[in-house]
Amino acid sequence: MIPKALAVSLTGICGPDGVIADRDRLLVYESDALTAYRHRPGAVVLPRTTDEVRRAVQAITRHGLPIVPRGAGTGLSGGAVPLGGAVVIGTARMNRILSIDAANRRAVLQPGVINAELSAAAAAHGLYYAPDPSSQTACTIGGNVAENSGGPHCLKYGVTSRYVTGLTVVLADGSVVRLGGQGREAPGYDLVGLFVGSEGCFGIATEIEVGLLPVPEGVRTLLGIFDRIEDAGRAVSDIVSAGLLPAAMEIIDGPTIRAVEDSVFAAGYPTDAEAALVIEFDGLEAGLDAEAARAAEFCRCAGAREVRSAKDEEERLALWKGRKKAFGAMGRIAPDLLVQDATVPRTTLPAILKGISEIGKRYGLVVANVFHAGDGNLHPNILFDRRDEDELERVERASKEIMQICVDSGGTITGEHGVGLDKKHHMPLIYGEAELDTMWGIRRVFDPGEVLNPGKVLPEETDPAARASRDDGAVGEKPAAAPAPAHA
Amino acid sequence: MSEAAPAAALVPDRVVLPESAEEVQAVVLEAGEAGTRLLPAGRGTWLGAGGWGVDPGTRSEPGGGGEAGGRSESGGGTDNPRIVSTERLDAVHHYEPADLTLTAGAGIGLDHLARVLEPNGQWLPFDGPACDTGTLGAAVASGVSGPLSARYGATRDNVLGLEVVTGDGRILRIGGRVVKNVAGYDLVRLFTGSRGSLGVITRVSVRLFPRPDADVTLLFGGDAAGAVAAARRVCTHEVPVAAVEVIEGDEGGVGRAAAVAVRLLGGVDEVDESRARIVAAAGADPSAALEGGESRAFHERRIGWEAGAGVVARLAALPDRLAETLACARAVAAQTGGATSADAMQGVVRVKGSCGEGDLAALAEGLLRGRREMAAAGGTLTLSQAPAEVAARVGWTGGGGEEGGLTSRIKSLFDPDSTLAPSCP
Repeated sequence: MIPKALAVSLTGICGPDGVIADRDRLLVYESDALTAYRHRPGAVVLPRTTDEVRRAVQAITRHGLPIVPRGAGTGLSGGAVPLGGAVVIGTARMNRILSIDAANRRAVLQPGVINAELSAAAAAHGLYYAPDPSSQTACTIGGNVAENSGGPHCLKYGVTSRYVTGLTVVLADGSVVRLGGQGREAPGYDLVGLFVGSEGCFGIATEIEVGLLPVPEGVRTLLGIFDRIEDAGRAVSDIVSAGLLPAAMEIIDGPTIRAVEDSVFAAGYPTDAEAALVIEFDGLEAGLDAEAARAAEFCRCAGAREVRSAKDEEERLALWKGRKKAFGAMGRIAPDLLVQDATVPRTTLPAILKGISEIGKRYGLVVANVFHAGDGNLHPNILFDRRDEDELERVERASKEIMQICVDSGGTITGEHGVGLDKKHHMPLIYGEAELDTMWGIRRVFDPGEVLNPGKVLPEETDPAARASRDDGAVGEKPAAAPAPAHA
Repeated sequence: MSEAAPAAALVPDRVVLPESAEEVQAVVLEAGEAGTRLLPAGRGTWLGAGGWGVDPGTRSEPGGGGEAGGRSESGGGTDNPRIVSTERLDAVHHYEPADLTLTAGAGIGLDHLARVLEPNGQWLPFDGPACDTGTLGAAVASGVSGPLSARYGATRDNVLGLEVVTGDGRILRIGGRVVKNVAGYDLVRLFTGSRGSLGVITRVSVRLFPRPDADVTLLFGGDAAGAVAAARRVCTHEVPVAAVEVIEGDEGGVGRAAAVAVRLLGGVDEVDESRARIVAAAGADPSAALEGGESRAFHERRIGWEAGAGVVARLAALPDRLAETLACARAVAAQTGGATSADAMQGVVRVKGSCGEGDLAALAEGLLRGRREMAAAGGTLTLSQAPAEVAARVGWTGGGGEEGGLTSRIKSLFDPDSTLAPSCP
């Protein structure tokens, strides 16, 4: 609960319907889509304009409380979890598309605009917004900017940071800065690029300028069915080596196929298969058939038992259905799900997939893989029941081993979900003290008092300031780390 | 004031050629202690850029003294900068063609790199200024993209990871070598385009692309106004093209006042179809069509377009303001006996010219006027190359990048004593 005086000033800034302080209504703001991490916020404030955000930030910091920016709460790393009684600044009411400039293929919007709604609005001009996270019908562009979100079609089109060309940002001290804008040629440091992916630690983006692309004229979608997941991994590598550049290449493994086919989302994938590979090409109609035929041939050569192709939009959606509904379907077969997000070099996919399956077997766990194979971005999901303490411990150990083999192969700990709360303790797997010190330093350039989204991205034990104060024999100023949640 | 003594080009006191990140670190630490300013460089192609006014004729020669500390190239007091060249950090550390990624020393020449990639039918589509003979590290440090960025993304979109030595001598390995990576804050983007002001880039990981099967350039000749209109039509056309340039003067090679060069890259069928539809939209047959190697050579020549020019500037605004941006650029070109080249997809116009005999004060005035006109339309004018006197009066960027003190706080974080490229950004 926040001090009454703060509640009064926030109500003055955002109106009575722009402040939530009621315990029951705060429940939904306790976590993001990774529900294992839960902390109740002090309050939630829902501003409508840059100026309201600025005034809210000033009011909250005057009371010494931390701030957590939040879009739709679809994140998968605990990034929007309010630690330490933080006040959540939600962007739900900042949901207007301010302009679509078709001549320059760009749009300016508020952060609460939903990803898919931007593409829907741009469609009138024959344009769309390329990054397409799986949650695109719910997630906000502001959240995408904070997380530098990806999606299946990032294989060809790149992730969020390629498309963000300008930002209006409210910093922790309540100042408002313009970064970039009016296209991509702003002189000086690429502060837009630095801000994208900063996970709510650098500021709150209140206006976002993005680039749009023309809607591709044609699409071809294939589905390869494999008896061995390594073969599907090899097909992906072969297709890329041959110089083909599909818009998307996604793999769904056997356990996931069976979960989907047992559910209301059944997509007609054979349940005895060990991998399904969805491949999509887009662009001008001319040449698409030839590209699809070549990719189909690579699948067969790698050992696909069957390659299906979609003849129309309805069939295309059917081929995608198993991929899109995979997460939902897995919820049916186990109460808890640990979602990982490592990226590995594409050529190591067959070996890594084998390694993951062996780790799962060794710990007696079901690991279901759904992932962006073209990018090497894996999502091994470990299914478990947190009430089983022994299983929980095995999950944690398996998860760590999986992360380790991915890093050892030249990969990274997160490809698109962000570090947040969930992976900050894995940061030392890929960065040394010098890099982590520098990231702490950059964080303090934007937010010297660590007001914005504290306790995320960087592990406390790597904080040079905290180290220095320990060396002085003083008690660390920083609050102790949030109570470790069940890792799930 | 043309009679004033021109600001003398700075003579570097030494050029050092370290062979490892640790040697770069030693050079940086030594310079910091001695209070010597350091200018990071690759092959020295753009030494005139960045406000140092270093005579572009001063460059290291490979083969001479390689250890940290290097050899003396020419004498000078402690006020003179020292050049730290990464030219000897030119090894390919990791190249797995099927991953479409590569890690190499920052000093590898982009010409050499192209030869490494060619046998696998791959390329790094960097076509910014000097990306023909310059180094990979310099292309990343300058961060300036060319016309192909519309298709392949800007330089910063294709840099996956870096090893850098910061101005205070820390070695950082940031990013990685996988194509999707959101672990931690994006320091790679911060360093890309930081022009040597935060650290010396020693190693670079990049994303590669397959070379497309078909490469065709359609050249449409016309008058200047007609060329801009035609270029804009292509830019907003439904057929995706790889690049659209408006080239004025003889360099278009079609014997008209201006040429629109439309580059098509992709599969053979796709490019054939695109070609037919672009020609139909243009309402006229192209004056020339370059195919395969000819098309490629045409564009490779254009990468070195600015080489040797005394004045180079870059004007940018939203693409639909191309006519105005080009008019502004022409005014600068007229003063320098120079030429313009426009990237219609990005709305960027480059100007090159000479200034040996001209009135430098008038040139500076002209550039400042151009910058004011661009700023009034929400655009920018940046200098890439100019005599020291002109650069001193005009400034390289006009300070447009400064935001709420963030820039100077970032500079202090990496280079607290301003050892590196002190006039940047």
